[in-house]
Amino acid sequence: MEDYTKFRLKSKEELAPLLEDKESIFIVACNKCFKEFKTVDEPECAELEQFVKEQGKKVSGSARIDFLCNKVLTQRQLDEQLPADAENVFVISCGLGIQTVAELSDRLIFAASDSISYDGQHGMALTNLRCDACGQCYLNLTGGICPIVDCAKSLINGQCGGAKNGKCEVDVNRECAWQNIYKRMDGQGRTEELISQPVQIRDYSKVNFNLINQYVKSIREKRFEGYFGGIHPTEHKELTEHLALVRFPDPGTVVIPLSQHTGAPATAIVVPGDKVKVGQKIGEAAGFVSSPIHSSVSGTVTAVEPRLHPTLEVDVLSVVIESDGKNTLHEFVQPCADPENLTTDEILDLVREKGIVGMGGAGFPTAVKLKVSKPIDTVLLNGCECEPMLTADHRVLLEYADDVIYGLKVLLKTVNAEKGMIVIEDNKPDAIELLETKVAGLDNIEVVVAKTKYPQGAEKMLIKRTLGRQVPSGGLPLDVGVIVSNVSTAKAVSDAIVTGIPLVERVITVTGERIKKPGNFIVKIGTNVQDIVDYCGGTIGDDTEIKLGGPMMGFGIKNLNVPIIKGTNGIIAIETVDSEESECIKCGRCVDVCPMELSPLYFTKYCKEENWEGMKEKNVMDCIECRCCEFVCSSKIPLMSRIKTGKTAIREGK
Amino acid sequence: MLITQLKSKDAIEALAKGKTVIINCKGCQEVYFPEEEALALQKELTGIDVTALIESDYICNPDNLKARFEKYMDRIEEADSVLVFSCGVGVQTVAGLFEEKTVGAGCDTYPLPGFQGVTPMEYDCAQCGECYLNYTGGICPITACSKSLVNGQCGGSKNGMCEVNKDMECGWERIYRRLEMLGRLDILRYPTKVRNYAVPGDETK
Repeated sequence: MEDYTKFRLKSKEELAPLLEDKESIFIVACNKCFKEFKTVDEPECAELEQFVKEQGKKVSGSARIDFLCNKVLTQRQLDEQLPADAENVFVISCGLGIQTVAELSDRLIFAASDSISYDGQHGMALTNLRCDACGQCYLNLTGGICPIVDCAKSLINGQCGGAKNGKCEVDVNRECAWQNIYKRMDGQGRTEELISQPVQIRDYSKVNFNLINQYVKSIREKRFEGYFGGIHPTEHKELTEHLALVRFPDPGTVVIPLSQHTGAPATAIVVPGDKVKVGQKIGEAAGFVSSPIHSSVSGTVTAVEPRLHPTLEVDVLSVVIESDGKNTLHEFVQPCADPENLTTDEILDLVREKGIVGMGGAGFPTAVKLKVSKPIDTVLLNGCECEPMLTADHRVLLEYADDVIYGLKVLLKTVNAEKGMIVIEDNKPDAIELLETKVAGLDNIEVVVAKTKYPQGAEKMLIKRTLGRQVPSGGLPLDVGVIVSNVSTAKAVSDAIVTGIPLVERVITVTGERIKKPGNFIVKIGTNVQDIVDYCGGTIGDDTEIKLGGPMMGFGIKNLNVPIIKGTNGIIAIETVDSEESECIKCGRCVDVCPMELSPLYFTKYCKEENWEGMKEKNVMDCIECRCCEFVCSSKIPLMSRIKTGKTAIREGK
Repeated sequence: MLITQLKSKDAIEALAKGKTVIINCKGCQEVYFPEEEALALQKELTGIDVTALIESDYICNPDNLKARFEKYMDRIEEADSVLVFSCGVGVQTVAGLFEEKTVGAGCDTYPLPGFQGVTPMEYDCAQCGECYLNYTGGICPITACSKSLVNGQCGGSKNGMCEVNKDMECGWERIYRRLEMLGRLDILRYPTKVRNYAVPGDETK
């Protein structure tokens, strides 16, 4: 693997005069990038410390920082590690890191290193191939060998004639690029094409700095919108965003797992042979953090047995019900008699009894979330749906706007908050417009438009983006006075009060370029995933992967014979992508996109070394598993599974 | 870290004939690749028969690329041309894997400041190998001055703006201001510098 380490310490002859008039220095050292990630501590800092001591001077302190050119994170590190009165700051880094520290620290700094020069730019992955970004690619004329980088003279109209035995006259260790170009073209039978090319003239004005500066500006604005990190994957929402909700045909049989939520699985209260109706409770909450389960059809219980769970990947106790096709409502499904005068406790009881859990995916029991121990000033309704492809929440906003707003009002009342905010990403202009009209007369509810960026829907990002508040490490939204709830959950709360129906159905998106007929559906909990895929025309191609949820945080499933549960927001069919992991090259991009401002590169290194303590110190437990790091990794490292392994090990007290 | 721009439709059509495999690299994710424009243009290409459209990211990573290509190998082998939409590194990687194929580059590549730093930046390092930042208050005269002057301003700036590009501030005025703010204008009294253009690996460098 190539090593593109970007700097080396200046020579002792150059450093000595710099030190002459100083008594002590402070060292800021970058931990280097673009090399195989073997050692955490690079040697330059210690080498400089040693040299300073040899010169009879003192080192007042040092700070070793990863990716010094990452301005936002470096600012934080400098605030923490660089004493305000530190004099004579020497920086060991490439020119970018030195300029960053000079700009951020507002004092005279000294460069203790030189950048190592390379011809051209390497790719993000480390190979010996480089590109000079000339803006007028010649590779079409040369069989894919770059004459600008590979020829010492950057000739574009053939060899100079100075090569000897195929070696360059400028550098005998280098092959003549034009000889290689000739060989490649000859091999392809394109000699004639090569020699009859018209004369090329390089246009040095092609590289337009204004254009480039504009790009940089726009890219940086996108990067830092609202909160640090995050990504912009291709959305592919156009497949389903305009498709109105369709009620999925009633399933003949439903399989309803007793564990669809965070916490203890519910306890079955029906036995095979029992007749049940829609909305009838079939599982009782087993503890405070738990939730009851209700039947989504009317019919007969045929089994209470372990069945494969869609996301836990193990068999869990489930109630199998054969539908009688009549959808008879259970007599307890009644509208709330006096919704205006419900007390907080009554609402909490209702939300718990109707089996409402977070519908964004995690499935945390809503009643537990709403039983707040701290004062809450704001309820955020999450209508971001930042996951690519999914449009379920989008459709809920459009088709159940009134229910969502009603649900929000109930939530506000329950936690006694002053303000409700419905946060919608700017890729859903129709939903924004509709909701803005609907809340126009309400002074305690507003619609907040957020620029699209994944993972904006993660509650900590959402709070930072809308309120500028930072949830502390290991903390919860309520620590900063906020409750975050999904729009579908708000609709479920509304249903529970207005019609009395428990959470027995939900909206899902079935999409992906590999599904024949995409759509948005209202499906009963317990409906079979395979049946839904079949109903949508099945999948295209044999290299198709099915995921429950979106492409970023969804669970890949092999066996489609699993039910839809309360937290399932979509089924996607996408192309299977085979990838090959290579070594971490410290490109630093995972650090640049991590919205929790962690350093994922250490997680894979420490996981391989089984250094759980190290992972803990790097705050692996704060990871929200959004998969941004894996998405940008140029080495295709399965960071997510490493992180999960580390978290499990730490939880088990290893 | 590079940005790419599509070549013109005519130029791209001239690059391929017959059965064609198109490879789109989403590039250094979160940097820049005109994905939508590329797909739209590819739909309009006439005179070729697109037998596969492969999307990937980081095609500069050859090991991963091989894994990604596996299921397309038969179509790549029987293709008359391969069109790659990526930066120059990506095109070279694909051309290197299929030396006997005509591999066309559908994009031109432009540099981004912040040479392979973690993120595109407003300032740049030209890897000159003899860092001048000690003399300039941490502002790089090689990249902040259009003429890369290392011994002070050229005298051509007007109202603080560069004569080469009037949207750009004069790098040497910025250097002066920074040093003035730090109370260290004395630093500018350094002896004349001569830039060493020796190629990397040369013993004088």
